[in-house]
Amino acid sequence: MPDLIQLAQALVNGVGVGLVYGLVGIGFCVIYNASGIVNFAQGVFVMLGGMLAHTLLTRAGLPMPVAAVLATVIVAAIGVAIQLLVVSPMWQRGTSMFAIILATLAVQIMIERITILSLGDQPRTYDNFTPGGPLRLGPITIDYQLFWVLGGGALMVAALWLFFTRTRIGRALRACSQNAEAAALLGIPVGRMLLLSFALSAALGSAAGILITPTQYTAYSIDGPFGVNGFIAAIIGGFGSAPGALAGGILLGAAQAVAVVLFGAGYRNVAALVIMLLVLLLFPSGVFNATRSKA
Amino acid sequence: MLGVGLLGFVMLNGGYLVTVLGLAAIYGVFCTGLNLFMGYTGQASFGQSAFAAVGGYGTAILCAGHGWDPVAGLVVSMAIAGLLALVVGYPVMRLRGHYLAMATFALGLIVYELSVEWSGLTQGYMGYAGIPPLGFAGHELGTERAQLGALVAIMLFGVWLAERMKSSRFGRALRAIAGSEPAAMALGIPVSRYKLAAFVVAAVYASAAGSLFAHFIGFISPEVFGVPMVVLSFTMLYLGGIGTIWGPVMGAVIASLLPELFRGLKEMQDIAYSVVLILMLIFVPGGLAGLLRRLARKPT
Repeated sequence: MPDLIQLAQALVNGVGVGLVYGLVGIGFCVIYNASGIVNFAQGVFVMLGGMLAHTLLTRAGLPMPVAAVLATVIVAAIGVAIQLLVVSPMWQRGTSMFAIILATLAVQIMIERITILSLGDQPRTYDNFTPGGPLRLGPITIDYQLFWVLGGGALMVAALWLFFTRTRIGRALRACSQNAEAAALLGIPVGRMLLLSFALSAALGSAAGILITPTQYTAYSIDGPFGVNGFIAAIIGGFGSAPGALAGGILLGAAQAVAVVLFGAGYRNVAALVIMLLVLLLFPSGVFNATRSKA
Repeated sequence: MLGVGLLGFVMLNGGYLVTVLGLAAIYGVFCTGLNLFMGYTGQASFGQSAFAAVGGYGTAILCAGHGWDPVAGLVVSMAIAGLLALVVGYPVMRLRGHYLAMATFALGLIVYELSVEWSGLTQGYMGYAGIPPLGFAGHELGTERAQLGALVAIMLFGVWLAERMKSSRFGRALRAIAGSEPAAMALGIPVSRYKLAAFVVAAVYASAAGSLFAHFIGFISPEVFGVPMVVLSFTMLYLGGIGTIWGPVMGAVIASLLPELFRGLKEMQDIAYSVVLILMLIFVPGGLAGLLRRLARKPT
């Protein structure tokens, strides 16, 4: 029987991972809202963020802040490339949605394999952003990096909120999500907005990956779990709602942590997937849907 | 014609290509089932690998673990897969679009994780070895060529069955659903029941493919039924032509021979499959079957 301290410790760590799920979930929403496209390759951005930051740190010897910014810019560019080379040609030809989802899945496999070939298949990690720690609260320890994750996550969410509500471009993006045709008639360049949405969600995923890597590890294969869990976060929040996805991610991270304590580490993904199926079947429009409108 | 020639050539020469064509026939079965659900009914399942895993592990456990006859193992596994599809499909088939895609994808991932974790049943990462070759009532098909013959016969039977289904009342109802669900409903077609039926049939095909794979190779592990299997089968489906009778088989044969052209790293093969799939999706969504039809129709 697991004791309460173990459970509390698991919850603390689960919230950190859950925040990353939430950020990935927001990434899904940003693209979906702008275009109605679901990009299955969302987890790739998390993986690439961590892997590139590690490579820039160790091989190029760059300081952490520079490596983080550079990695995020590169990943955003990859997001744009995916949109330009794969998604956009299909979108313009009016290809069915399943085919587009399939294509993004193929992109994910492709990027995974290229990562193995160029950076190797070994898992890796790097140091916390600030040395020292962990913080001890009685029997519970809190890794310093967790504060970076929480702080970074909060900052990004705040920045996103300001972007979507206060800037012209952000409002234009929201207009596209409400009615793309009407937005085009109003002179909003819908195609360019779609590009922007891919860049934005790639950058979000990358930043999340860079923040979380010191607390665990990164490898070519983490994109699948992060992508799926991010998607689940988005579903819990009612697909398309950014705050919902964030809350959904934190809920999911906590639930997963509890499941690991109760059933063992091997069942963390099974637990998440079962949660998703339940949510899909019982609350098809999200768990907190009654209270909030689209962001 | 070309297929018969290729088969004859390989049968005479034997060698490594027998294995390649055998796998192509197995994938042909898998894709023919998937085609019923995706091509005719216009739905999507990203989790058919789950049912192939049911077939593969069912066969491994029953035949290698308990000494069952291969045919009995095959049929019982197919029944289990069909039942599972019925139970899971009943709620899941109510979903549409990306929800359906992700729910089925999750199904595949859950079965994958279970096959890794439930090692008491599946022997985990180590995989299940020592599965006997195909046979009936104590007679094993000793040579690889005899097995290839059996696999091709089974595949042709599967295709024939699919063809019969396509032009039956059932198949016409499925195609009506693909055209427009509200219209199909207005015509009095019980849409959700037919979707579920197509899902179950596809699952039974996938399970049969999984069983055949287990017998043919003699060894299975969780990796066999992972996400790359899903992408590979979609590549075959779109390469050959989705929604046509022979497209899935054509795609399976071509995609199986493709890596023989540029043997090399496993990673390069996966990249090649992905690139081919993406290019097909963008430029030739009808696949080779669609392309051939377009060429045939063009007045010369």
